[in-house]
Amino acid sequence: MYATFPEGLEEQPMQVTETLNDGLKRSYDCVIAATIVSEKVDAKLTGLAPTVNLPGFRPGKAPLKILRQRFGQSVMGELLDEMLRDGIQKIMDDRGLRAAGQPQMDMAEEYKPGGDFSFSLKIDLLPDFEPADFSTIEIEKLEPDVPDSEVNEALDRMAEGQREQVEVTEARPAANDDVVVIDFEGSIDGELFPGGAAEDYELTLGSGQFIPGFEEQLVGLSVGDEKTVTVNFPDDYGADHLAGKEASFKVNLKTLKTLAPAEVNDALAERMGAENVDELRTKMRETMEQQYGEVGRNRIKRDLFDKLDELHTFPLPENLVAQEFEGIWSELQKQLEGENAEEAREGKTDEELREEYQKVASRRVRLGLLLSEVGRRNSIEVSSEDLQAAIARQTAQFPGQEEFVQKYYLENPEALSQLHAPLLEDKVVDYILELAKVNVRKVPPAELLADPDAENAEAGAESSGG
Amino acid sequence: MSRARRIRPVGKPDEAEMLRILRAPHITEKATLISEHNQVTFKVAIDATKPGIAAAVEHLFKVKVKAVNTIRMDGKVKRFKGIIGRRNDWKKAMVTLEDGHSIDVTTGIPAR
Repeated sequence: MYATFPEGLEEQPMQVTETLNDGLKRSYDCVIAATIVSEKVDAKLTGLAPTVNLPGFRPGKAPLKILRQRFGQSVMGELLDEMLRDGIQKIMDDRGLRAAGQPQMDMAEEYKPGGDFSFSLKIDLLPDFEPADFSTIEIEKLEPDVPDSEVNEALDRMAEGQREQVEVTEARPAANDDVVVIDFEGSIDGELFPGGAAEDYELTLGSGQFIPGFEEQLVGLSVGDEKTVTVNFPDDYGADHLAGKEASFKVNLKTLKTLAPAEVNDALAERMGAENVDELRTKMRETMEQQYGEVGRNRIKRDLFDKLDELHTFPLPENLVAQEFEGIWSELQKQLEGENAEEAREGKTDEELREEYQKVASRRVRLGLLLSEVGRRNSIEVSSEDLQAAIARQTAQFPGQEEFVQKYYLENPEALSQLHAPLLEDKVVDYILELAKVNVRKVPPAELLADPDAENAEAGAESSGG
Repeated sequence: MSRARRIRPVGKPDEAEMLRILRAPHITEKATLISEHNQVTFKVAIDATKPGIAAAVEHLFKVKVKAVNTIRMDGKVKRFKGIIGRRNDWKKAMVTLEDGHSIDVTTGIPAR
């Protein structure tokens, strides 16, 4: 019943001709003979037969001929896909190729049942290259040296934000920025109107919360004063029946409050969750150092990438570069159409931009390939603990929704792999930095922050000029 | 058991009549078995005659017919919610073709 495959045919079911072998590009034409195609279809149908239920036949008893008629088309489609996949796999395995990105395949023409199945394949290979000797890299690591003055400044800012309202005990007129507690009653043409009255309302003078003119007229009032304030509702006021009308408000100033002066003391520390001022200061220093440390880390990473980019000149797979470029370019197009078009363009023509970003794309691809190659050679891997830690970090950013975030990562492998890439990059960077010669230099934070910008401008000039 | 029969049409059928006579291919396990003997099975009009069927098959499928066997199939008695109903009777025709002729029933009537 089962057709035995002719020896040899099974071994070499596919005729492959190499049509292009140029640098990293390869093209192949592949032909699978009609007999093999139909054999495979039959084999598939035979496998299917025992489960098929057709009217007029006992379950599983439908003959192959009928099945071919009924299911041939769909099985064929499935099979072609399969053969295409297997074929690509086989071509790559047989030749030991490593593809960059997805191989591109083309069916020369629509497959006709009973004919040979032929397709062509375009592959961009991953380049074979030797990573440079990292121990020759010399790199400067900037570490933040946060001065006390800056910590104090930050503490002052914090205190500023935490100022409390205190009642003014001395008798003085209300000034801007004071908080007044007022009762008021508004009327138009002597008639009270709904929503125009309130009691014990806390209003910060100069906040612009009320209609223009209102707050200004309260400046200079003392506690216990009463005053009738006359204001015009603006023409574009939200409520139609009030817009443009003149209204008078009877205002009674009950209490005057003002913001307590900013003070760094134990009370503030306690509110911020520290024992006393000293602890608060230490904590503040730590967070600042951490923030600056991140800046420093990004800087050393960029410097390192610059060096690595210089050191490696291996050829790049065009498709990856093109893909990367497309990504950047479409992003840029969005910016160019958006509000800050002029800024994004930087006074350059399309051609200049194109050239510039082509270089950026090449650099990214080169570094990406290099990092993954280094990772592969030294079997640097992201462990599940690392991933867990990364997830925990992500989770911490969404307080109150921890469970949801956790679940999201558990159920979405793609989301996980998005976390994966930067982790691996970090690990490889660490690995290289360990090998490289790193000179540590303590710098004040200002320098740490200022430098990258200068560098940026330089880098921009470099890439557009070169 | 057999019910009143309609008067059969006589004479050579025209093309419209032929299309009325041959209702559908009858594809079953049994039909597949006898196809080994170059026989093709059809459902045909209940009042079709053997000569009529032979003429129709010869004309529509461009083949030579050796013989035609027919049988009246009684419709099944079916109950639905206790109500007894009966499916229509129908006629099955096993058409033997001359050697060297064949019909691929599943592709339908070839274009003329």
